[in-house]
Amino acid sequence: MSAGATTAPPVNTLAEGLETVRRAPPGVLVVFGASGDLTHRKLLPALERLSRRRLLPAAFAVIGVARTEMSDDGFRDLMSDAVPDAGPGWGEIVKNSVYIAGEYAHPDTFSALQDRLKDIDEALGTGGNRTYYLATIPEMFGEVAKALGKVGLNQPETGGSARLVIEKPFGRDRSTARELDTTLHEVFEEEQIYRIDHYLGKETVQNVLALRFANAIFEPLWTRNYIDHVQVTVAETVGVEKRGSFYETAGALRDIVQNHVMQVLSLTLMEPPSSTDAEGLRGEKVKALRSVVIPNAGEIPNVAVRAQYDSGWVEGNSVPGYRQEDGVSPQSQTETFVALKLAVDNWRWAGVPIYVRTGKRLPKRVTEVALQFKEVPHLAFPKEAALGLHPNALVMRIQPDEGVTLRFGAKVPGQAFMVRDVLMDFSYGAAFLEEPPDAYERLLLDAMVGDPTLFIRSDEVDTAWGIVQPLLDAWAKGDAPLAGYAAGSWGPRPAETLIERDGRKWRTP
Amino acid sequence: MADAVTPSPEPANPAGHDGAEGGAEGTDGKANSAGRAGGATGADTAGYGPQAVHSWQKANTSIDQVIAALPELRKEASGREAGTRTAVMTLVMVSSGEDDLEDFVASVRSLGAHHPCRVVLLQPDPDSTPTIDASACLWRAQPPEGAEHPVFFEEIRLRVGGQAASHLASIVSPFVLADLPALMWFPWELPSPTDPLLGIASALLVDTRDVGPAAAVIGHAYRTLLELSNHRPVVDLSWVRLQPWRELLAGLFVPEHNRAFLGGINQATVTGKPGPRHMLGGWLMAQLDLRARELVLQDAKHVDITLEADVADQHGTFHVHRDDRTRAVWATANVEGGPSHSQALPLPDDSLTSALGAAISNLRADRVWERALAAAATLAS
Repeated sequence: MSAGATTAPPVNTLAEGLETVRRAPPGVLVVFGASGDLTHRKLLPALERLSRRRLLPAAFAVIGVARTEMSDDGFRDLMSDAVPDAGPGWGEIVKNSVYIAGEYAHPDTFSALQDRLKDIDEALGTGGNRTYYLATIPEMFGEVAKALGKVGLNQPETGGSARLVIEKPFGRDRSTARELDTTLHEVFEEEQIYRIDHYLGKETVQNVLALRFANAIFEPLWTRNYIDHVQVTVAETVGVEKRGSFYETAGALRDIVQNHVMQVLSLTLMEPPSSTDAEGLRGEKVKALRSVVIPNAGEIPNVAVRAQYDSGWVEGNSVPGYRQEDGVSPQSQTETFVALKLAVDNWRWAGVPIYVRTGKRLPKRVTEVALQFKEVPHLAFPKEAALGLHPNALVMRIQPDEGVTLRFGAKVPGQAFMVRDVLMDFSYGAAFLEEPPDAYERLLLDAMVGDPTLFIRSDEVDTAWGIVQPLLDAWAKGDAPLAGYAAGSWGPRPAETLIERDGRKWRTP
Repeated sequence: MADAVTPSPEPANPAGHDGAEGGAEGTDGKANSAGRAGGATGADTAGYGPQAVHSWQKANTSIDQVIAALPELRKEASGREAGTRTAVMTLVMVSSGEDDLEDFVASVRSLGAHHPCRVVLLQPDPDSTPTIDASACLWRAQPPEGAEHPVFFEEIRLRVGGQAASHLASIVSPFVLADLPALMWFPWELPSPTDPLLGIASALLVDTRDVGPAAAVIGHAYRTLLELSNHRPVVDLSWVRLQPWRELLAGLFVPEHNRAFLGGINQATVTGKPGPRHMLGGWLMAQLDLRARELVLQDAKHVDITLEADVADQHGTFHVHRDDRTRAVWATANVEGGPSHSQALPLPDDSLTSALGAAISNLRADRVWERALAAAATLAS
């Protein structure tokens, strides 16, 4: 190449061989609710970690938008305070960043945003790439989206991108979720909307996919032919902490089952996708959720249990009952525990019950999916020789101590022929060097890169609400009793009955 | 097994080097349990490193006896948790007894929790008596961040005397774990491309930083490496250490406006020590199709890359350099009359442990490295 040549190479040849690491393109992250807790505790630290991992570009800035009066320098101080032990790269991002104080519905806020975006594009070369992160209260999602649309910021610049990131809850029920979707779709195309359920950002949730579809030995067994039933457990030891007044309006069904449980369940039940790109994966997840049988009102007492924790002992500490928590009504009817028996009507899962259990103030923090296999068709040993033998179980531990356990029978060493259960235990933490990225870190990067695979599509949200809506309706009418359970126990007696009447038992995770 | 495994306070070292472990030489010693890997090397000194759970050693032994000792080590290790070996590969190191041997071994060992390897250290000594002195040690590493399960891995040392020292492949083959990669590492010299030991290697680990200061030596080493890379993936620790610099420079050309300048580079300056500056110079030549006269290589303590480019009426300077004051690497793009930006990253960890960890995570052939090496060989000639 001779000096002064002006023909640009078609690609960045210096990046060859380095593409295996996904990096955000040049761009601006616009955070609405920038003075709030989510921004301070989650978003800014996640951004700094991305910077430290060399996953953010040099041409990058944050624009904070919130009602709180604050100068650019004040926002920069806030950014610095959020990450006290930041690496040297954070300072450059902080220096590039600015703040806009204003009402979310006011046109002045958004014309100021237009001007700031233009300035940053010119100064840094951010190429018209914008990611709008709505860290506001959910009631503002529609307002902000409409206001962005009024000034044309919903439309990508030439060669750039415009994406909207929102976080659960996506509505309070199916009807309000649909209203929100309608509002968002008036302004943004579905492809521009990134709905976060941070559970999907967890490495171990994604590992469910790897276990199922990167291994030939499991998938053939993953059917009604071999599996007796499935148990999903999402157990927390904590109570409602400082979220009592919020939790009063939510409950375990809205807070955990409609989103986290449905996401884990869809990954467990789905058919193998032709590819793990966004549409391939999300299409199969929706198909799986659509196969879940929606219980009718008459069935609900037999397939669902709701309960609320009383006082008790958890991890050696005496804890109050739910109704004694701050912000909670003494007559509260909000459930802190849900147990469900779901059925799935499709070729793979017909006749295999799915038992779901989630609750607060349970004895142990654990999220797992357990596939309980059928018993062997004929036991060739004397019954007394196999007293310690149970059906095989494959358990995907999502948190904590992420890993996979397979229970199978083995001969006890000795002259007699005795068999008993043994565990083959794989721990992710013992096999890989990299600390997995925090869920926000992963999802922020995905949004900026433009990969929607781990975000929830509109029809997924709607289908998940469709499954829980009859329960919400029945419980709102008081059709099902609210049981009590001692904090530190695995739930109320009716939850035991729910599974025992089928001749099965809950696992003790 | 003829030799019972018994506890003793230090892991065994049959070659008798005064290294970290300072082991006793070739006794029938039966070794040792629950002793922390002592010594002054590697991560062990910090108190967080792997611990020697049990070890075994025997002078004038046979390969069969060493193989039999390995399951005994796991059985004899006390406690319910011991006994499960974890391994992602076999790492074979070949040493002639260099002074810094224990530093290298300690670096490998400190990867244990993340990249547990069965380590086989070969110490050929063709001029000594025709015997094999061996030791084996079971190590325990606790994964970080409170993970519940420790990791156990084995380290085997074989001092091979006499003619057998010329037939190391036959010695090491029984120790290579099935179904896992076997990584061959000659930390102190490059192997001959015809070395039979390479026949069992699924990849070869090298460090081009250490091939020598003289241009002629560097050029010869690079040509040897090119030949070696024709037959199996070669992973270069120096290339791994240089990756942050390459990423930062490449990152400056992600904005479309800047990318145009890649077609107008009229001078590239790379400073650094011999080896790294040659590899980066070779990389720029190969990837940007530069001619040697457009490239300036200068000796310096640290790596520094500057690209000067002109496109139409605009001049751009793209610079990646280390700043000791801020303990950071800075990447800066300055375009006259256009957008400018800079990025700073903490100084990368250039320890052997860190480079090893990154290198053995990716044991594939790297065509970009091979092209850079070929161009660097011309620069060093």
